[in-house]
Amino acid sequence: MNDDADYDVVIVGAGVNGALSAKRLTRAGLRVLVLEAGPDTAWTFDGYTRHVSHFYANSTKNAESAWPPAANAPQPDTADVRSGDGYFVQQGPNPFASSYTRLLGGSTLHWLGVSLRMLPEDFELRTRYGVGRDWPLGYADLEPYYRQAEREIGVSADVADQAHLGIDFPEGYDYPMRRIPPSYSDRVLAAAIDGMEVALGEEQFALQVRNYPAARNSMPRGDYQPVGAVDERTDGQALARDLGQRCAGNTACTPICPIQAKYNAGKSLAQAENRNLRVIPQAVASRILVDPVSGMVRGVEYQRYEHPGSPRHTVHTATARAYVLAAHAVENAKLLLASGLSGGSGQVGKGLMDHPALYAWGLSPTSVGAFRGPLSTAGIDDLRGGSFRASHAAFRFDIGNDGWRATTGAPDSSVASAVTGHQLFGPRLRTHLEESLPRQVRFSVAVEQLPSAANNVSIDPRYVDPLGNPRPVINYHLDDYTLAGMAAATDVYRQVFRRAGIEDRSDPEEASWMPSVSYDGSVFHYHGMGHFAGTHVMGSSAETSVVDADQRSWEHRNLFVLGSGSFPTMGTSNPTLTMAALTLRTSERLIKELAG
Amino acid sequence: MTVNEDRTRPARSPGGSDDRTDRFLVVSVALTGFGRVELLGTGLTDTYLRAIDAVLPDGVLDELLEAVGEIPVGADHETDVESILADPKLGPVARNIILMWFCGTWTRLPDTWRTAYGVSPLDADRVVSAQAYQGGLQWVAAGAHPAGARQQGFGAWSLPPEPAAQSETRAAAQSETRAGRR
Repeated sequence: MNDDADYDVVIVGAGVNGALSAKRLTRAGLRVLVLEAGPDTAWTFDGYTRHVSHFYANSTKNAESAWPPAANAPQPDTADVRSGDGYFVQQGPNPFASSYTRLLGGSTLHWLGVSLRMLPEDFELRTRYGVGRDWPLGYADLEPYYRQAEREIGVSADVADQAHLGIDFPEGYDYPMRRIPPSYSDRVLAAAIDGMEVALGEEQFALQVRNYPAARNSMPRGDYQPVGAVDERTDGQALARDLGQRCAGNTACTPICPIQAKYNAGKSLAQAENRNLRVIPQAVASRILVDPVSGMVRGVEYQRYEHPGSPRHTVHTATARAYVLAAHAVENAKLLLASGLSGGSGQVGKGLMDHPALYAWGLSPTSVGAFRGPLSTAGIDDLRGGSFRASHAAFRFDIGNDGWRATTGAPDSSVASAVTGHQLFGPRLRTHLEESLPRQVRFSVAVEQLPSAANNVSIDPRYVDPLGNPRPVINYHLDDYTLAGMAAATDVYRQVFRRAGIEDRSDPEEASWMPSVSYDGSVFHYHGMGHFAGTHVMGSSAETSVVDADQRSWEHRNLFVLGSGSFPTMGTSNPTLTMAALTLRTSERLIKELAG
Repeated sequence: MTVNEDRTRPARSPGGSDDRTDRFLVVSVALTGFGRVELLGTGLTDTYLRAIDAVLPDGVLDELLEAVGEIPVGADHETDVESILADPKLGPVARNIILMWFCGTWTRLPDTWRTAYGVSPLDADRVVSAQAYQGGLQWVAAGAHPAGARQQGFGAWSLPPEPAAQSETRAAAQSETRAGRR
């Protein structure tokens, strides 16, 4: 499309929500402009591969290690949590320990790919358990869009594994691809613990190692075609698209799948109707312009920079009939606040949530074949729901396939400990590593967090980035509901380890630094799962929420604010699938209105 | 090159002095427990020699390589490597060589060492190169593959891991240590 095009919709952000919207809207004949704050280096396969090399050579291997920030579109980095001097202005009392990526493709470039649906009870926490808040829509409303989302982002799973805890599927439905084969580690652990019972409050739960849905390509069902790598070149060639149509076990979903067998938002953007789409990278939306009388949005001001290293930029305004913010829970809230659109409810930026998570790690009595396969292929899901939620948080265990990498930095840290700690060398060193590395087991324990007015994103003119845009100021605190959930989760993982004969090696002294919090005589070291939510909450009234169930702003009716920022509560599922489903639902309504 | 030709040739190493490279391999075999062929197979011997030379003061590596020549053949050589590892000057360097082969990284030397023997701006925690990361012997020891590279193929992770060949390797490493000596 040419520069002077008259757009139907301006979308801010080329992550999963922006890309899915762009695909749906352009295919419905609507003319769409996408503004992406970061560079589009992942848009060609060669560019993407340079990110893979960057990861190889980086001395840290965290979620950000493949994705260096552009100075003009800065992003949080988990390496900055300890010092507190990163992009986030951390005001505590607890550090917010998650990050996201501002590039074309967004945080799906480094996500794990876990695509669990939320539980029916997650949508009505207030009604059922007297905590949190209810959603303005329920599981049944979202179910058809979950199916669409599972096809759009390419989820591999078997309904036979997933139909539990009230999650139901229509007769005859199954996921577009068969489940990712369970790891050998999953099979060893399942043999040891499946069927074991644990008590939470008055209830007994039988635990099971359960394969989970993942947006990683597997064996297709029916006519489904797995979508391979993104390779959008100016010469029209797309040589790499045949790559990545099957997961090949690179054991690096986070931070980067080298063959793009894992979904990233570039895949959806590449499927948009090109004639109706214009994407401008390195274009930071800085202000939403609103008609003071009607409240309607009349434009988005953005700053276009040529060179990621220089703050030189030009200012433009993009106009359209409707506007979609899909810039991330934090960036959406920040942009609304920077535009003076804090709303009548006062809820913009309020109720920030994450899944604060604990690690548990140990040595299995026999080899589990660690360091092979997708980073995680199964979990223990049985404690995601139950009446205990009236008193403490629900939680979920991810079972890692990458040894202690996430916790201690293994295998490097295991080698260093053997060489400098135990003074091993030569054949005895090699034997020690051969015998111990394949036995490393790691759980991540994702704990639910409820919305609280004390947890929020705000802006402060004292804190700005190189283009003069506000940096997010974060207030964050883990309340007793979450901490009691952490205590219960700790008790359960210890029972699981005992049953499986796993020697508990969860020693924070041996682990990479993580923020800590005390509760009832225990100290929990937590990390963030990157699951930001709640900053532009949806609800059934303009008095208590920012957007309605269609993610449409109550006050600015041609403005839609997409993403996990709309979630009233989070449950225990990774948010991407649910936000994709919400985005598809919103897109359907937008198309009906604008193209109808 | 045919297999026969290969057998008739003495082991040659890429770049630099063959004698020095050989000595580096001999010490590396003793330090890592991996055989000469396995180490050469990483393709990183020269890279590592260059990286060490760039960071250490002149003569330190050669001092270490000379010390290897004094290691007697046979069952007792561990004691002699232990004496190198216990040496305040050579020990930290030898441990860094082990970490380099296993992890593809250079590890900043201890402050006491830097004070006593010299400081280089290159003496910082870092990955030697993208290739070195992928060639780390830790992945071989784990019976796995470097994360993000050398994928094993769809579903391979579901199979039991192959048992480590440690006993054979140990014997091979010892015989190669002998063969590599002059």
